[in-house]
Amino acid sequence: MDPLDAWSKDAREAPARAVPPQGTQDLLFEAARRLRRCEAALARVFEEHGFAEVIPPSIESAEVFGDTAGGGADALRAVDRHGHLLALRADFTAQVARIAATRLSGISPLRLYYRGSVVRESAADSGVPRERLQAGCELVGEAGPEADAEMLALAAASLLALGIPPGAARIAVGAVGYFSALIAAAGASPRLARALTDAIDRKDLPGLTLLCTREVPPGRAREALLMLAQPPRPQAEATALLSRAQQLAPGDDASSALQRLVAALDRLQARELGAELEVDLGEVRGLGYYTGLVFNLYAAGAPRAVGGGGRYDTLLGRFGDPRPAVGFSLDLDALVPLARPA
Amino acid sequence: MITVALPKGRTLQAALERFARAGLSPEEDFATTRKLIVPARGAQARFLLLKDPDVPLYVERGAADLGVCGLDHVLESGADLLVPVDLGFGTCRLCLAAPRDSAVARGWRSGESGAEMGRSLRVATKYPRLTARAFARRGVPVDLVRLSGSVELAAVADLADAIVDLVETGRTLQENGLLVVEELLQVSARLVVNRASYRLKLEELLPVLERVGGPS
Repeated sequence: MDPLDAWSKDAREAPARAVPPQGTQDLLFEAARRLRRCEAALARVFEEHGFAEVIPPSIESAEVFGDTAGGGADALRAVDRHGHLLALRADFTAQVARIAATRLSGISPLRLYYRGSVVRESAADSGVPRERLQAGCELVGEAGPEADAEMLALAAASLLALGIPPGAARIAVGAVGYFSALIAAAGASPRLARALTDAIDRKDLPGLTLLCTREVPPGRAREALLMLAQPPRPQAEATALLSRAQQLAPGDDASSALQRLVAALDRLQARELGAELEVDLGEVRGLGYYTGLVFNLYAAGAPRAVGGGGRYDTLLGRFGDPRPAVGFSLDLDALVPLARPA
Repeated sequence: MITVALPKGRTLQAALERFARAGLSPEEDFATTRKLIVPARGAQARFLLLKDPDVPLYVERGAADLGVCGLDHVLESGADLLVPVDLGFGTCRLCLAAPRDSAVARGWRSGESGAEMGRSLRVATKYPRLTARAFARRGVPVDLVRLSGSVELAAVADLADAIVDLVETGRTLQENGLLVVEELLQVSARLVVNRASYRLKLEELLPVLERVGGPS
């Protein structure tokens, strides 16, 4: 360290005042070219599959993003001179839902895609940037398992288009509706529901067992909850897991959530995807608005999920046009270094 | 190839014994070698030797696929990890402790924080995140004093009104005139696993998780 700065209280004082904010970066030359090549490869796949681009603004009324963690609660906000609370784009899906529910209301189905950056406060030390480059797709107005399967297949095709070989990519698929039905059947308080979500999301079987024995009355819902921290199964071997989950389903909501998942998987059974699918009913963490299918994408070389998505049948209702929808986004910061687009 | 992060602290021996059950042993003895990274004997694996609190970060960021770490450091790090197995060793308790005759020791259970008029309760700890969370839940404002060791001393030397620290037998507390005011967390060693490794290397990892975590 330069002795002139050794006691400087502000790390950003001279000579480093010109550093971009923590968790953001400048992309120059080759890095910029690589990003644009990947975006172009994705845009090409999305358009081949009938999706059209929308470019929402980079600021929105803060309410659009809601107040869930990973969405509005982590947004960077500011009050404009009229006293309106605005947020930098924290989530494309909420913006696309707003557009679909207002300007495109009544047109079904809609196939929309986007690319750009979102800004979210991330946990210190996690290595997750604040400004994240994304590209993604939303299919609005289709409620059936065909739509779920279409989006899973498109997510897999996107990874393939980036030059990530099928053997190096996995998609973990779950049904969040099953979990929420179990929570309801167990009569869990919001605090207990959060603790169960955390334990299942972390595969914390000892912690989950403790919570279930202490807080959840014995019965099918408890048995089923305990099953959710089990390791995932490859699609081909998932039948036993799914039929066990079906046996333990405490009611119609849980059953139909599973049937939806099975129906979507069946439609993908015979297809060559660009990635291996595995079934994990413990995929319970999402942006808070997922209601059915949820999935996360993993690629060899990236230490965390490189994308994810799911079905959100209630989000558009927030903007006055209740219609089902399903979509996914890809994390380009993680994918660009791994990508070899054609 | 899997990479295992081991803590060099008091749980190292127990951790090595568990991995030996899964057929994974370092080629060289960590007690004698100065190397910090050692391949496993005859297996597609290697071991990293780390300070205990650094294990979660190595695993979260994917420099190691899995590791052994006390629940205290896992939670304090805030790292986004999978924690599928409780290894059962390295058990102790994270406790709030204070000098025997202090205002904290006398008043805590009846709802008095023991803070002096006009200032927040001064609490010394190596676990600022867990301490802040525990006090927030109890609605007590706290003046955190971050230390890196000999935390008991802070309460004795009047740097702090109370401490939050690990208690194994309670002897250190006792010999320094402190007592446990409240137990905050039961701690034991956990297997921690990287989220992406768990998906992409599951076939390699599952047998290891089962044997390391299962009965001998």
